[in-house]
Amino acid sequence: MTAPLDRRPQSPVSAVFLIARREFVTRVRTRVFIIGTALILVAIVGYVVLQQTVLSKPGNLNTYKVAYLGEAQSFADPLAASAKALGLAVERRQVNDESQAESDLRKGDLDVLIRGSASSPQVLVRDQFSPTLHSLLLSLVRQRVLDSQLAAAGLNPAAVQASLASATVQVQTLQPLKSAGGGNRLEVVIAGFAVALFLYIALLTYGQFIAQGVVEEKANRIVEILLSTVKPQQLLIGKVVGIGLVGLIQLGVISVFAFAVTTVTSTFTVPTAAAGVLLYGLLWFILGYFFYAVLFAAAGSLVSRTEEVQSVALPITMLAIIAWLVAIGVLTPMFDGSPMSTVGIALALIPFVSPVLMPTGMATGDISPWLALLGIVVTVVTSAAATWLAARIYANSVLRLGARVKLRDALGRRS
Amino acid sequence: MAEGGLQVDRLSRRYGDLVALRELSFEVGAGELFGFVGANGAGKTTTMRIVMGVLAADSGEVRWGGTPVTFETRRRFGYMPEERGLYPKMRILEQLVYLAELHGVAPGAAGRSALAWLERLGLGDRRNDEVQKLSRGNQQRVQLAAALAYEPELLVLDEPFAGLDPVAVDVMSEVLRERAKAGIPVIFSSHQLDIVEQLCDRVGIIQAGRMVVTGTVTELRSSGPHRYWVDAPMAGDDWTAGLGGVTLVRREGSRSLLELADGADEQAVLRTALATGPVREFRRDIPPLSELFRHVVAEARAA
Repeated sequence: MTAPLDRRPQSPVSAVFLIARREFVTRVRTRVFIIGTALILVAIVGYVVLQQTVLSKPGNLNTYKVAYLGEAQSFADPLAASAKALGLAVERRQVNDESQAESDLRKGDLDVLIRGSASSPQVLVRDQFSPTLHSLLLSLVRQRVLDSQLAAAGLNPAAVQASLASATVQVQTLQPLKSAGGGNRLEVVIAGFAVALFLYIALLTYGQFIAQGVVEEKANRIVEILLSTVKPQQLLIGKVVGIGLVGLIQLGVISVFAFAVTTVTSTFTVPTAAAGVLLYGLLWFILGYFFYAVLFAAAGSLVSRTEEVQSVALPITMLAIIAWLVAIGVLTPMFDGSPMSTVGIALALIPFVSPVLMPTGMATGDISPWLALLGIVVTVVTSAAATWLAARIYANSVLRLGARVKLRDALGRRS
Repeated sequence: MAEGGLQVDRLSRRYGDLVALRELSFEVGAGELFGFVGANGAGKTTTMRIVMGVLAADSGEVRWGGTPVTFETRRRFGYMPEERGLYPKMRILEQLVYLAELHGVAPGAAGRSALAWLERLGLGDRRNDEVQKLSRGNQQRVQLAAALAYEPELLVLDEPFAGLDPVAVDVMSEVLRERAKAGIPVIFSSHQLDIVEQLCDRVGIIQAGRMVVTGTVTELRSSGPHRYWVDAPMAGDDWTAGLGGVTLVRREGSRSLLELADGADEQAVLRTALATGPVREFRRDIPPLSELFRHVVAEARAA
């Protein structure tokens, strides 16, 4: 015990490494982390299973049960065929008479009854007639009327149909919509939306961990021992890096797992599209995480009791919530195939919004590589500035116990 | 004392309008156990936090071996804060190794040293328990081990004895004595004056941010007025009347408490007492540190 200890000078890097390692090891080992990650994985499997069995099974949502009576029976095949072309299914039901049809309609066993003549059919439904079926039926009826008129005029309806069919409109696109890996655009947007949601939750969760961790160290005074041997900046960076690695590992595991599950079950037609979004998502987690994490740490350092963390971190939480609302506003219109709006692209360049919009924008190609690079530079520069500011606030407040430290004092010089 | 040892030189610090320290100075030499005594709020903790660099002084300087203390020197100081600072959910040994490594000790050496100190403090078999599962006294031992595991060159301990049972107090005292014997200056604060009295080489009494008195325990205790108890059963009430510079403070039965002015000869007092008949007791009245402490504090308050 009296032998001199092997003591080395501590470099800032090794101090940060030791702090980050402790944060990482003690958190990854906790039951909360392991069970939490497992639950998310289970949720992913659950979602995919749901999608496979319920949501995308043909004929569950968009199937119409249609019965025909009399002359109207001639509509059965053409209606089914044209409905199928639109991705709808028409299932033919047999009814003996109108009264049976009416009771079936009331019970919900039947959606539509078509009766009457071939040229002017009548439709009976319970509450409303599907507009799609309506227009399909209407065009069939018009076709018949047209055919009989053509025949009466001595023309061959089939020939007229053929020349009608050959008439086309040529569409030229000046700026064709791109899609990474040639994947289905809609799938990229769906995956991008999911990634944005995950990033939003992850940034908030890990940010809260950091604020909580900072206050805990302050509350139990270990920070006094730590700061007699490391600089506040080292403690701050070590903490942010350590917890960030926990987050990265968790998101990495989730991403790989989600990719594997969706590939195996062919949820996406082009797995590489989803992979692109996931990779961009991980990149933007790292970039966005630093920005949010240092601010959460600075907020945490202002208070001395864990109960006060929520309120002191509220402004930063609000930033994340605003980012998520912006993401909903920008990404939802893209579900019908439109490109990301110019406003959306501009918003994606704002550092605190970037993480939720950039992965989708980059994966769909709506945000050009140059703009994406600009977004990365802006975020890195802003994060560096935020780190400087946060380190100052942190260094000035983390040893001040008791009442909440005023921001103006925290930005001042004295500790 | 110029080389080795800690010099605290005219530290001042205010918190807003409250003056916490006014030009506070003291020195602690190599191998010396220095007890820091003072009422609550007198400035003990503020002083220790400034020495450890977790608080900045408004003016004044802390020197180690004659040169101003820097961040690098402080990394070789061991510190036990007033409110205990450990991660409640971290395992004990892991925590001690972590803190030692942060202080620059190589991983292997940190593990050996931490384990050795845990064994020494009787917590070897609990090394893999979480800190929060230990009793308060045991947590305090871990805290001490945390301050010792990186073999510091100076120990600064804020209330290390608070809340300890007598056995733990003995263990703690023994360790502190041993560290001091190894040449390490040890500063600690305490309200348990009997412990301070037994343990310390020197004591500093601090009052309202000022160091009122420093000195060895014996010096301090004999610094008061010279008083003697004399038990002379045959003596009359006014037996001291003929003695110059001697006042009778009070009588308790056959015993008299006398106060001698500076230069008065206590041997003359003894001779006079013997002249009245048998003398059963003749001893210097040395007040305990606690009485001295009360006296000093009251005096400083009146000033």
